[in-house]
Amino acid sequence: MPGKAAAKGLAAADRYYQDYGCQARELKQQGKRIMGYLCALVPVEMLTAAGFIPFRIKGDVNEPITKADAEMETIVCPLVRSAFDVSLKGKYEFLDGMVMAHACDSLCRTYDIWKYTLNLAYSHLINMPHSTDDLSLNFYKALLNTFKTSLSRFAGGEISDQSLTRAVQLYNQNRAKLRELYELRKAVPPLISGSEVTKLLVAAMSLPVGEANELIGSVIREVKQRGCILAAKSARIMVVGAQVDNVAFIDLIEDSGAWVVADALCPGSREFLYDVEVTDDPIDGIAERYLRKVYCGRTFRVREGSYQEYLEDRFGYIGNAIKDFGVDGAVLYIYKYCDPFGFDVPEIKSYIESKGTPVLYLEDEYSMSTIGRLRTRIQAFLELIGSK
Amino acid sequence: MTQETKPEERKKRRTATEAASRIGAMSKAMIGNVLRAMEEGRPVAYAFIFCGYDEIIRAMDIVPAWTENYAGICGAKRDAQRFLERAESENFSRSLCTYALCGIGFDSWREELGEMPPNPPWGGQARPTVMLGSGQMICDPRYKWYQALQHYMPDVPVYVHGMPWPPYENDYDYREVQDYYVKYIVAGLKDLIAFLEKHIGTKMDWDRLSEVVDLSDRTWNLISETYDLRKAVPCPMDTGDAMNTMVPMTFMMATQEAYNFFKDLNDELQRKIANKEGVVPDEKYRLMWGGGLPSWFALTDFNYFNSKGAVFPVETTYRLLEPVYKLDLPKVSDPLEHLAWRWVKWATYRYDKARKRPGSHPDIEHLIEYIEEYKIDGVVMHEAFSCRSWHPGLIWQLNQLKKVYGNIPSLILESDIVDISSYNEADTRARIDAFIDTLEAVKSRGR
Repeated sequence: MPGKAAAKGLAAADRYYQDYGCQARELKQQGKRIMGYLCALVPVEMLTAAGFIPFRIKGDVNEPITKADAEMETIVCPLVRSAFDVSLKGKYEFLDGMVMAHACDSLCRTYDIWKYTLNLAYSHLINMPHSTDDLSLNFYKALLNTFKTSLSRFAGGEISDQSLTRAVQLYNQNRAKLRELYELRKAVPPLISGSEVTKLLVAAMSLPVGEANELIGSVIREVKQRGCILAAKSARIMVVGAQVDNVAFIDLIEDSGAWVVADALCPGSREFLYDVEVTDDPIDGIAERYLRKVYCGRTFRVREGSYQEYLEDRFGYIGNAIKDFGVDGAVLYIYKYCDPFGFDVPEIKSYIESKGTPVLYLEDEYSMSTIGRLRTRIQAFLELIGSK
Repeated sequence: MTQETKPEERKKRRTATEAASRIGAMSKAMIGNVLRAMEEGRPVAYAFIFCGYDEIIRAMDIVPAWTENYAGICGAKRDAQRFLERAESENFSRSLCTYALCGIGFDSWREELGEMPPNPPWGGQARPTVMLGSGQMICDPRYKWYQALQHYMPDVPVYVHGMPWPPYENDYDYREVQDYYVKYIVAGLKDLIAFLEKHIGTKMDWDRLSEVVDLSDRTWNLISETYDLRKAVPCPMDTGDAMNTMVPMTFMMATQEAYNFFKDLNDELQRKIANKEGVVPDEKYRLMWGGGLPSWFALTDFNYFNSKGAVFPVETTYRLLEPVYKLDLPKVSDPLEHLAWRWVKWATYRYDKARKRPGSHPDIEHLIEYIEEYKIDGVVMHEAFSCRSWHPGLIWQLNQLKKVYGNIPSLILESDIVDISSYNEADTRARIDAFIDTLEAVKSRGR
């Protein structure tokens, strides 16, 4: 169990990653209230402002799904099924409640299954709209105010604007630290491996934001201090997809002779590219950021201008990362049954290729059992990049 | 290159009603009308059934091309594989919605050729003037499909309108939020009309819209009353036919043709009831189709159930309406506001009922209501692997039904809506046989 003294640097991140939820469990024993959530579209600022410790519910690629199938169909996204399975098995028994955003069908359409089966004291679905137009933004603000009221009732006290603003500032610090961390990946070779970054990102999802910020800061200092210790490798890879919350796939790439230096993932760059603007009514800034500035396949960005401009609007952040991080090739890593990202594949692929960067598209399940068969695809892709 | 293959010849499903037997010709005429509109330069809109704004499309004389319908037709004619393969070759995963894959496969092929793909079912799917998504609460492909199609038709504008409804929650009552849901829907519908006026060049005729809204209200009522006739024993029409009569209900809503169709069906069912004429001569088991879209290529499975003495007097699938007079709608003069209230009140129709039964849920109440009113002996569902709209939650619904109501025999069939490669007739029928045995055993114990 990581104690306060140990909660620093890469070793601590590794421990939090390996024993995911250990800190939340300990905090629960100390009387803290833990609110589980799924997906990067839940405004964690609001949970923190209400006095809860947000805890991101995730699955476990090493754990076979054995219980979930009795309640949830196998046609649901394997990540969601796995997360539900480990939840049923008691991995997150410390949760006081759960919040879900209307991110995709696999979440929205299984919300009732989660709610009724886990039987938590609190649950709430933020019925987030898909469009980014002004009408949808106003509707979303109304939804967030309903959520705020509901959460206040459960918390037993009002969520003040001041506490929301403080939470916004804390999470903006978190995003700023992650941006700083990612700067370390721009070096050749990178100063920090993709595997180390992923472990840190996942560890941070399980911690109170203040602790997460300290941990990220300590990792940045450690990595800067250790300097360039990573070996040169033949290729710099970017991974693009939905949620990758384990190192299995990242390790596969890095064990095959490349560094993962950039991503368009959750957790990852999709979550920290843009801050929440501090606004008079904090809900305004929160709504704007979560609806319009999280570049997720589930959000329908309203098209203005030509189709090429539309692609740039939707995927420009990927193009920027390719340039900024010196990416040699992109791996489009999509889970089976993922409608929001699955439908984007031809567009993302052609967009990245139009930048002169080769793309490997892989469909996978959220399981270690499938990782092995991807090895030859990765190796062949790296050979292709090497031959260019 | 996708190979042209000849679809398998199939025997037509035997219908119980004369009305349902007319559906094939009606559907074909509908597709033909879309193609004619395209040729004549009339506006064609890709749209989704149950979009919540059929009335706007009709009042503006826009010809809807229901893309799910065309994919379903390809599936029913067992001619979807070449379009699915085409989409797969474009890097769309086969695990995505196969309606969408079939449609995208077809459209990308048509765009590449500059003409219809070879031997397209019923003449093919017309190139649209606009594409109208309807994202919220039904499924992701309702906006992702058309967004993805822009890759092949970048010149065709897309509009996505959220038509949300309040989720069933413990932490607040839907009445606390319904006003802002309605406000959002109304604002979105106005925005949609502005989009259509801009891209179609036709102004909305508001008087006509009011008339069309009134017509669709009356059609909702008529359909509800007509389907209620199926409570009769013996049952005069079952789900097999309802999977046909969903065509006028969903693809022709807000038209006089739909209203007339259900008037005819109502008359026919009343005649059958008076003559004690049932779907099967010796009705042994009354089943409910309790969820899931059907396998369009295997509708003859309903005949197979019938051959065992089983009928389906009711289904939750494609019965996405209630009598309007039961919805407790506020009186409003704005037709858009009426549409919004009808949408929200329909979606929340069983919320109060669910609160009265501990552990219940509106979907469970829906099942219980039909079990009791239609004297149901067993529940059949279908899990289509590619569809995450109506299919996640079916297992849970059955589990919850058992907890809050009691045991009732159930069967979940597994296949797909369009992708025939997921279907095994022998296995499906073996499972139906086993289910019939269970029903018989339960009935015997009850005697």
